[in-house]
Amino acid sequence: MKNEPTKSSGIPVIIIILVLVGVVVGAWFLYNGSKGAGNKTVSPTPGTSQTKPPATVNPNAPQGATPPNVLGEPAAPLTLEEFADFQCSACASAHPVMKEVRSIYTNKQIRVIFRNYPLPMHDKSYDAAVAAEAAGLQGKFWPMQGQLFSNQQTWSTAPNYRELWNGYAEKIGLDMAKFQSDVAGIAAKSRVDQDIARAKGMGVGSTPTIYLNGQSIPYTEVNVPAMRRIIDAELQKTAGQQQSAPANVGK
Amino acid sequence: MNDGTNEAAGSAIAKLPLAAAVVALGGLVDSVYLTLHHLTAEPVPCSIIAGCETVLTSKYAEVGGIPLAAFGAAAYFIAFSLAILSAFGNRSTWKLFGVQVVIMAVFTGWLLYLQAVVIGAFCQFCLISALTTFGMLAIFLISRFHSKR
Repeated sequence: MKNEPTKSSGIPVIIIILVLVGVVVGAWFLYNGSKGAGNKTVSPTPGTSQTKPPATVNPNAPQGATPPNVLGEPAAPLTLEEFADFQCSACASAHPVMKEVRSIYTNKQIRVIFRNYPLPMHDKSYDAAVAAEAAGLQGKFWPMQGQLFSNQQTWSTAPNYRELWNGYAEKIGLDMAKFQSDVAGIAAKSRVDQDIARAKGMGVGSTPTIYLNGQSIPYTEVNVPAMRRIIDAELQKTAGQQQSAPANVGK
Repeated sequence: MNDGTNEAAGSAIAKLPLAAAVVALGGLVDSVYLTLHHLTAEPVPCSIIAGCETVLTSKYAEVGGIPLAAFGAAAYFIAFSLAILSAFGNRSTWKLFGVQVVIMAVFTGWLLYLQAVVIGAFCQFCLISALTTFGMLAIFLISRFHSKR
């Protein structure tokens, strides 16, 4: 079979080149436009939904793990309570934001509570939460939390994820025999279960969900500039309340 | 085989590669969007009801650190090129197009299996891509049917 000669044999090549150039240039502009946006804009694929968290904390919700995983002084006027899943990529993305926010304010200004809320669609998140709580039983919850979030991409798809977690535990200086015993034991699991009960009692439907003094912070505001704005406003509000009511001491 | 002696049938065959090129262009746009989304989108919160872009954040969404959608975009561009050349009279490229879309259809079937059985979730834009691949395959099969008549 012969190829039919065409009068305009250059036209298809021109079309192909034009499409290629159009795709590359269009993609380049879109890519740079997204990167240069600066603000942390959530852009889910159409068809996914984001569950809105309850606007305020339910005072009748279970207490959660007691004592909670907390940084900051009990008398601090502001409390940031975060519900997160160690295998949730948005939570890993929020982790450096929360870490930076913690570093900006003093322990006297703000206390930060982390609540485990492993979601059912993540096959390793419950075990990851237990591992973090096991580290917490040796006083190293926050370093282990950092290791799990920072290395989430690595362990969440690795068949040898438990070996990786052991590596993180060694890195942060845990007693490995105790760590492995606590991972298998009841105490760490119980703390995770208590946090889950609190999340469910509060109607938390997605992770990360963050509350500041009982008011939820929209995920679109979970970036350092927006959180600073929100926290500063709340600090001013609580300072104003304390000034106007000098008799309210030591809440 | 039809060597173009039947003008009506020959005309129909020329239009089919053009239709395939249009469908391939749709697949290309879809794949480029998915690639850009993979590279630039901030993660969305994980919902207890709707998941968290499970498919697009699964280990199957990348090959060697490259978004799978990027490979799809390359495949669609090649398919588009072959279809356009065929529409302008090059029959050998139409055969190559046929081979390619069969391979793409088999791979698409595997991706659908992964979503349905392994990952347990579907990605809307991935389903659009599957539709365009099967659309191209259907066009090619129709052209084979016409050429045998």
